[in-house]
Amino acid sequence: MSKVMNLHDAVAKYVKSGDTICFGGFTTNRKPYAVVGEILRQGQTDFTVWAGPAGGDWDMMIGEGRVKAYINCYTANSGYTNVSRRFRAAIEAGKLVYEDYSQDVLMLQLHAASLGLPFLPVRLMAGSGLVDFWGISKEQRKALDTVDNDKLVIMENPFEPGQKVVAVPVPKLDCAVIHVQKASPDGTCVIEGDEFHDVDVAVAAKRVIVTCEELVSNEWIRRNPENNKVFGECVSAVVHAPFGAWPSQCYNYYDCDGAALKEYDKASKYQDAEDAKKQIEKEAAKAAKKGLPYTAPVNPETFKDYLDKWVYSVKDNDDLLNKIGGARLAALRVVPGLGYSVSK
Amino acid sequence: MDYTKYTKQEMQAYAIAKNIKENQIVIVGTGLPLIGASLAKRAVCPSCHPIVESGLMDCDPVEVPRSVGDLRFMAHCAIQWPNVRFVGFEANEWLHDEERLIAFIGGAQIDPYGNVNSTSIGDYHNPVTRFTGSGGANGIATYCNTIIMMQHQKRRFMDKIDYITSCGWMDGPGGRERAGLPGNRGPQMVVTDLGIMKFDEDTKRMYLAYYYPFSSPEMVLENTGFEVDVSRAELMEGPSPEIIRLIREEIDPGQAFIKVPKQ
Repeated sequence: MSKVMNLHDAVAKYVKSGDTICFGGFTTNRKPYAVVGEILRQGQTDFTVWAGPAGGDWDMMIGEGRVKAYINCYTANSGYTNVSRRFRAAIEAGKLVYEDYSQDVLMLQLHAASLGLPFLPVRLMAGSGLVDFWGISKEQRKALDTVDNDKLVIMENPFEPGQKVVAVPVPKLDCAVIHVQKASPDGTCVIEGDEFHDVDVAVAAKRVIVTCEELVSNEWIRRNPENNKVFGECVSAVVHAPFGAWPSQCYNYYDCDGAALKEYDKASKYQDAEDAKKQIEKEAAKAAKKGLPYTAPVNPETFKDYLDKWVYSVKDNDDLLNKIGGARLAALRVVPGLGYSVSK
Repeated sequence: MDYTKYTKQEMQAYAIAKNIKENQIVIVGTGLPLIGASLAKRAVCPSCHPIVESGLMDCDPVEVPRSVGDLRFMAHCAIQWPNVRFVGFEANEWLHDEERLIAFIGGAQIDPYGNVNSTSIGDYHNPVTRFTGSGGANGIATYCNTIIMMQHQKRRFMDKIDYITSCGWMDGPGGRERAGLPGNRGPQMVVTDLGIMKFDEDTKRMYLAYYYPFSSPEMVLENTGFEVDVSRAELMEGPSPEIIRLIREEIDPGQAFIKVPKQ
């Protein structure tokens, strides 16, 4: 049975407001941006998020107010933005419900979900603030039906009396979204390069959307099953979305679009024009107080402007690719042998 | 280009490279440790095996990667493991020979026992400054010997930090065991822009082991927010012009992590 759908229909059918959700990829690598853009356009909201190593994908969703609870281990477009700016601003303004686990633990939790484990004991996080501080309090947790009642429970290892272990809950994912290099209509996926947590969430989630660089035939993908990473029966929809990870990178296909990531870094400093005005006034006052020169940016691009330009003003992935432009996309192609793009 | 002068960051990168041993596995993160490890791999200690928390093992990047999941790591490594395999590898590390692996982590605040904060400044629930979150740092500090990278400032070297993201020696001897952490692993040194701090074997408190040609024990005292012993400090020689040329021309020509001063 063919699972091929267009981007709009796949997101409309399989991403629901209120979902507990996880995106594949790693900070600036193979992030499913085509679907992120489509969710933003369609308006689904109130997500409980197991973020994994996140970057601009979840920063955009946070900035647009689509997140009900954010379970974090790391959020940054590393190498371009030290800390994702809408994520940071939302926390500093007290506007985001968030929890912190270490990345190791969060990845193990997603893996445990793929194994169907009831809970997970670790020694990680012991002694640290990750155990002592709960981003989402016990009371808040009781009121949130998509968040477990406890962040963790310290218990004794039943097999090693006296040894303390940290028991953590296992995510119950409604939806997972991954971007892969090749998929066939029956849902089978080839992931080239590091799979990250993508296979785990594809196995664990009730609904799975796969976007792919190349849609290949069911017959072709069975020629070399040793390359296949996701069983087609795990997958709800297959969407052909070339450059679907743009502006992040995709192994064997293309590199990050550094210009776009730098543009986002600058723009996401300001939520919107009003916020820009406020921040610039504050910066100017600070400089004046210290007697330092300050050149105020004039009408700087904001987060809202960036989304209008690259998300809301395009209607689908094809439209986005046309807007980015063929030459710019071609320049991102990786150089065989090097594995990255050399055009700056 | 004059390669005889170097910046604090270049000295720090060189200090990182110098502390990597023959055949050692090295866990690197982004930023300066990446430059240090690349320098080690290229020139100072080519037999080392850089690995990153995304699961890429024995990396040998041509161009400096911008993140631990970058194609620049992925294209030139021995194996591309999913993250959980890396986690398992790291979690079994304390069962092996102590010299087998060294890991680099960074942070915003550090206390005398090498506990590190890279989560948030101020109240965790209502922070003045929020950072990314743990990333791989907590796991690395749980199971591995670490070298901690810091900017040497009074407001960063403090008696009590706001949040422990990565455990050091906790509150001193026996602290790690009491916290449920392997006691045979922990922070080995702190490499800063003013010198190299080590931990006293008996008290587990930080002391100054080395200062640089452009710094001094007095500068370290001035910029440390807690009592620190500088009586054992020795001078560490700076890098050769060839090392500086390598960093600027080959390892980080785009100045992604180290800015070269205009001449």
